[in-house]
Amino acid sequence: MSTSPLQEPIPVPEEGQPITQLGPREWARQNLFRTWFDTALTVVFSLILAWALYRAGRFVFFTGRWEIIDRNLTNLLVFRFPRDELWRVWTGLFVLAGTFGVAAGSAARTRDQAVAEGRVAPPEERLVLRRFGPVLLLVAVLLYFAGTLSAFLLTAGVAVVAVAARFAGYRVPPNRAGWGFAVGILGLVAAFTVILGFGGVGWDRWGGLMLTIFLAVGGITISFPIGVLLALGRRSTFPAVRVVCVGYIELIRGVPLITVLFMGAFMLGFFLPPGTETPSLETRALVALVVFTSAYVAEIVRGGLQSVPRGQIEAAYAVGLSPLRTTALIVLPQALRAVIPAMVGQFITLFKDTSLVAIIGLTELLGVSSIVTSQPDFLGQGLIFETLVFAAFVYWVGSYSMSRESQRLERRLGVGQR
Amino acid sequence: MSRPAPWRDVRVLRIAFQAAFLVAVVAFVLWIVDNTVGNLERRGIRTSFDFLDQPAGFRIPGSDFRTSQSIGDAILVGVETTMKVSAIGIVLAFLLGVFVGVARLSPNWLVRRAAALYVESLRNVPVLAIIFFWYLAVILRLPTVEVAGLFVFSNRAFAVPDLTLEDGIELFGIAALVGLVAAAVVWRWRTRRFDATGEPHHRVLWGAGLLAAVLTVGFFAAGRPIGLDTPERLRFGFAGGLRMSPEFAGLLIALVLYTASHIAEVVRGSILAVQKGQGEAADALGLSPFQRLRFVVLPQAFRIMIPPLANHFLNLVKNSSLGVAIALPEVTRVVRIAISQRAPAPQSIVMLMGIYLVFSLSIALVTNLVNRRLQLKGRT
Amino acid sequence: MRSTLIRQLAIALIGVVFVASGCNLGGDDDDDGGEAGGETQTQTQPGQTGGDLLQTVTSRGRLICGVNDAVPGFGFVTEGGDFEGFDIDYCRAVAAGILGDPEAVDFRPLTAEQRFTALQAGEVDVLIRNTTWTSSRDGSEGARFLTTTFYDGQGMMVQADSEFQELEDLDGATICVLSGTTTELNLAAQFEARNLDFEPLSFEDNDPLQQAFQQGRCEAWSSDLSQLAGIRSNWPDGEGGPEALRILDVTMSKEPLGPVVADGQEDFADAVNWIVIATIQAEEFGITSENIDEQLNSEDPEVQRFLGQPVEGEPFDPGLNLDAEFAANVVRAVGNYGEIFERNVGPDTGLGLERGLNALWTEGGLHYPPPYR
Repeated sequence: MSTSPLQEPIPVPEEGQPITQLGPREWARQNLFRTWFDTALTVVFSLILAWALYRAGRFVFFTGRWEIIDRNLTNLLVFRFPRDELWRVWTGLFVLAGTFGVAAGSAARTRDQAVAEGRVAPPEERLVLRRFGPVLLLVAVLLYFAGTLSAFLLTAGVAVVAVAARFAGYRVPPNRAGWGFAVGILGLVAAFTVILGFGGVGWDRWGGLMLTIFLAVGGITISFPIGVLLALGRRSTFPAVRVVCVGYIELIRGVPLITVLFMGAFMLGFFLPPGTETPSLETRALVALVVFTSAYVAEIVRGGLQSVPRGQIEAAYAVGLSPLRTTALIVLPQALRAVIPAMVGQFITLFKDTSLVAIIGLTELLGVSSIVTSQPDFLGQGLIFETLVFAAFVYWVGSYSMSRESQRLERRLGVGQR
Repeated sequence: MSRPAPWRDVRVLRIAFQAAFLVAVVAFVLWIVDNTVGNLERRGIRTSFDFLDQPAGFRIPGSDFRTSQSIGDAILVGVETTMKVSAIGIVLAFLLGVFVGVARLSPNWLVRRAAALYVESLRNVPVLAIIFFWYLAVILRLPTVEVAGLFVFSNRAFAVPDLTLEDGIELFGIAALVGLVAAAVVWRWRTRRFDATGEPHHRVLWGAGLLAAVLTVGFFAAGRPIGLDTPERLRFGFAGGLRMSPEFAGLLIALVLYTASHIAEVVRGSILAVQKGQGEAADALGLSPFQRLRFVVLPQAFRIMIPPLANHFLNLVKNSSLGVAIALPEVTRVVRIAISQRAPAPQSIVMLMGIYLVFSLSIALVTNLVNRRLQLKGRT
Repeated sequence: MRSTLIRQLAIALIGVVFVASGCNLGGDDDDDGGEAGGETQTQTQPGQTGGDLLQTVTSRGRLICGVNDAVPGFGFVTEGGDFEGFDIDYCRAVAAGILGDPEAVDFRPLTAEQRFTALQAGEVDVLIRNTTWTSSRDGSEGARFLTTTFYDGQGMMVQADSEFQELEDLDGATICVLSGTTTELNLAAQFEARNLDFEPLSFEDNDPLQQAFQQGRCEAWSSDLSQLAGIRSNWPDGEGGPEALRILDVTMSKEPLGPVVADGQEDFADAVNWIVIATIQAEEFGITSENIDEQLNSEDPEVQRFLGQPVEGEPFDPGLNLDAEFAANVVRAVGNYGEIFERNVGPDTGLGLERGLNALWTEGGLHYPPPYR
């Protein structure tokens, strides 16, 4: 079992009480009023929960002044992205829906095949609504604020494409498992190209949620290979390489992200030879995020490397593989498979941490939500709560859904390994 | 066996490769440093650290810092605030985290759900948003108290009475020492007695009772050497007592709540990782649920949770740098103010990183020591 | 000095032992002053004639303008994702003057700490971000301040029902300010000069600051008078509206705000400077964006010269390396000073400011354009 030093060490099972059929009264007695202490707890907690629900509900449905979100929805999602180029974003979304749908379908087919052959245990059944509930809620909220037919139709289109692509992907024979993954990557590249290329919009004009996602996805993608190299370096037999890698990893892990971002914002331009044009603040923030994240990725991958049994390496040497090929063909594939859940965890962390770029003046989601309040119409009315709650909700949906998926993945991989 | 030619000798190749690698790394770093220095000098930015001795020109709220003091002193004031918020935060986050982690496994359905709600809603939101929310929506909404009681919870200050030491404190100190020694002796006596005869030891009762008695006598004998310094309302704000600024409280609460939501998951995982038979054995011995948790499950779970716990403590220290968003003058914020008042950015940032590195390394050191001790105990 | 920094940086950054080599790594590539191009002009070789930033901007076809994205009235982002405000209009004016197109601007929002670094590093061509002109900034930030576009001053705002009348009443009070600005330093200087005690509470953004002030966390709010007036006139009705606040009758500092360029960009600095002056001059001449086409045929030789119309056969060329009609372009694009003022911060806007010091010299204000001849 892989245990990365950064993540919670133990795959956490869900509440595992066997569900036996109880009448409501019996259930309540068992679960709420077993002892007097339990009863007291129940009463206290009901009061607290009721109060919290009341306050939250009152704010969301009655006292909240949501007009600022209503009118700034586009700003919150893409900020200064030119409005007449928005079709690029939609096209990118369609491309992503199609390719990721195919990838998901193909993965589902592979899994079902494995289940049918009895190689893995069947996945636990979960309601679709429960799995995708938060995301659907977010989409509903966004559509409510958008309030236009075109936005609704486009969203429905994206959903239809995604579902259709999933069924198409399911028809791909299961032994081409890597294929779905490749399609997913391809889709990412294509979506990126659609927005950026062909006279498109450079990322120094991206903002809002789009910038958040770009920084998170870009950050983790670029950090991954660097992190793998650092991890290999840390376990290298060359002392010099080891010292440099350990030094880098521990140095970066010892400082807060915000100082690395300051470094990117203030100093990156000075690092380059005189006369070089300073990269845009967005690029510098991305570099800082990569510098920071790759150290953490390295530690995760190191955990994966350690989980590969020694016998595997010895066996590889025994059949005459060189150290390089042993690493590339035997160790890494097993190690990387083991670290997938931890990598998802790291991605979630990065997704939340991108909010810090607001402090160095970038306008990602949290940044936008704190500056739209200086528009003349909304000036000085204390609308920061509304924008803050909205931003927090978007972060929550993204991060909660992903952590749920990562737990599923963890269980599945855990089952697959044993 | 003759030695192979040098270019085929593995040992030589290894050394050559490492040397080349080191040269490349060093050259890269020097290239960056050289570029930086060149660029800075070209633009007429100071390249030394003597800005630290210059007068700061700004004030720091909640401290006696004067504008004529140096920037270096200002940074020290910031370091102190960071250390305070981190130290208190780590203790509170740990306690709350253990509590919530245990609550997540409570047999009570409602408690379990409430704990899950807490964990899932806080863990998945950026800590910066939580800090903003607590400060703006809760702390600032507290009333502005006009009259100071013993305790003050207002948006001007959080204050509790403080103890003041007066004449005769030395005598009281000696009495306290004597009391402690006596309590320890009694404790050991009760323990030995319990081991020998098995009669209930009540050693806490005995020890604490004795200590309290000695302290009371000592207190009056020394002429009441400890006074109470209660907070008092000034024209603006408060004085006296142990005070905490609202910004400090806001950051502290936000960090504690956020970190505790992560720690709770660690605690839950660790408790579940304790072998099930241990809990069942405790039940079989007739221990109460509390005793089972306190004496059987938690001590074993604690051993498992130390490494991830250390990471979350570290994160708390690093996240305290986000006080920058709510006007708390911790070290990051002080450095930022200094930069905007013309301290050169590169040196300031390098210094800031160095300061955090020292924090991180000391925490890593302490937890490693604790870890080693506990692990050794586990093996013997 | 160079080798000390190398040492210090190396110790702090790497903690490895190549300090010893630090002394001899200079020297190899510090002879590149010339080829660095216009954007990285150095202080040590100022006044390089021709071919400076002005040419770079012209050949690039875009102006990069460092701005603020959260100062009401001066620089903010609209619902449509565009920048708007007083400072923004000056960016457009500069683009119109140099490139003939007010839309040829890329806006770079900058934080208070970043602005001078960004200017020095050539990330922005010109900084129009409510920046106060001070001697030390002019001297040691490698920045050059141009004609002031807005005369502001630092003021103090309190709740209307409080008894504060002057700074002395605020002895010991907590005062909310925005950080990273001269406001913080002025506050300290003013209070210490009067031997008064105070606690500054300095925030990054206006919103948390306003919340703190609204909830009574601080007794007073110190900021530029223009900002205070804007906040006061937008004060929510639920909190008592503008009447609930009072701005003290003290001006704690002079805050001349204007465009800033990097040191050593003589041609570019001149161009920006005269574009700013042109907006003021246009108001003095009574030329607006509406009557500009009629004014082109004006009989007045001064106006003719100003608008680049041929006087006795030749358009007047002051040698600024700008198009002869640049002033006309500027006014057509953004209007004259009065129009810019009224549109962004004037009485009919959210800020609702009076002209005050910002009136023309003929009206008793401070705007006094040098003669265009």
